Amino acid sequence: MGTVVSIELADDRPDTVLAGMVADVCAWLHEVDERFSTYKETSEVNRFQRRELTVDELSADMRHVLDACADLWRATGGYFDAYASGPLDPSGYVKGWSVEVASARLAAAGSTRHYINAGGDIRTRGVSAPGEPWRVGIRHPWEADKLSWVLTLTDGAVATSGCYERGDHVWNPRTGKPATGLRSVTVVGPDLALADAYATAGLAMGEAGIAWLGQRVSEGYQSAVVTDDGRAFSSAGLPATV
Amino acid sequence: MRRSTAAAVGTLTGAALIIGVRLSVSAPEPVAAPPPVDLAGSGGADASAPAKKPAAKTPDAEKTEEAPPPDDEGGEAAADESGLKDGTYRGSEAKNPYGTIRVSIKVTGGKIVAADATYPITNDSAIINPPAIAQLKQATLTAQSADVDAVSGATFTSASYVKSLQAALDQAGG
Repeated sequence: MGTVVSIELADDRPDTVLAGMVADVCAWLHEVDERFSTYKETSEVNRFQRRELTVDELSADMRHVLDACADLWRATGGYFDAYASGPLDPSGYVKGWSVEVASARLAAAGSTRHYINAGGDIRTRGVSAPGEPWRVGIRHPWEADKLSWVLTLTDGAVATSGCYERGDHVWNPRTGKPATGLRSVTVVGPDLALADAYATAGLAMGEAGIAWLGQRVSEGYQSAVVTDDGRAFSSAGLPATV
Repeated sequence: MRRSTAAAVGTLTGAALIIGVRLSVSAPEPVAAPPPVDLAGSGGADASAPAKKPAAKTPDAEKTEEAPPPDDEGGEAAADESGLKDGTYRGSEAKNPYGTIRVSIKVTGGKIVAADATYPITNDSAIINPPAIAQLKQATLTAQSADVDAVSGATFTSASYVKSLQAALDQAGG
């Protein structure tokens, strides 16, 4: 994937224990990469896509991801599309999902205070220090060293979709061209897999995504959006300090 | 919330607006004192006496005078011309599984030109029928430097990570 992952464990546990937890997360993320990377010829996703595997032969994780991608395709009116670039590529869902699972594994291993940041998708749990929620900044969409919002979270997920790092990689399936209109979409909510997919879909929709993201508020997902011409929008419940 | 008539058919339950659409397609024949349009269609399917009329042209429709101020329950006073009188008709409240909805239509020249629905915004209905105010509001785009634990941004490449705020935090965290 080439994604950089940052993990912070704030639990009051011996370093060796924490190091073991980090190692487990890394092992999980490598497993995800082996299974879902479209850049690895022998990955399960590519073998399935080449029809070397039938649906019945797929792993449970692969079936879950494909089901989720189908649900999201419906929920977003086709703007989240695992086939947007042609061959099957569920990475828009996998990135957030893999971190959501990683955080659950850490919690199961006894970590109640941590965050994981995989390439800008963040899952937080608990507090950074007693009484101190995690402070998550949203990177300013033009000035790389500045923030446009600061969020405070205990248990939650933050996902940002934008084209200012990797270029035009988000596709608008209706126009058949790269998405335009929005510079940055951040979604905050309980599940990182959905937050990630919603952020991507919102970006793909262009300005129409602003209203669509507003409808996600009733599901528990707040948003912060910046348009290509520098207008900013946010939902009323966004947990922002400034 | 405004919607075109066609769009509203798919989103509102009950026969109410479906009746409205049929009416806009075929102008009803002249009838004496057409009953008020019952948009809630008590029980639904049987409420539409005018709905099945053939599409006969009603030459008198254009002569309809300006209707008395709208905003009353049901229809206006007895029509002395054919067709629906111009005006705004509000249906009685219709209950659907998500709450109580009230539909209104506006008629001009014998055709439905606008349709509206009001949705409840309290209790469970607020979840199923999200209030229109749950929109994103415009804010000022600020550029701040602040003390944070992590930074969320578009997926960075390994190269741009090195220069990113998150990298600075990772290094400082030790």
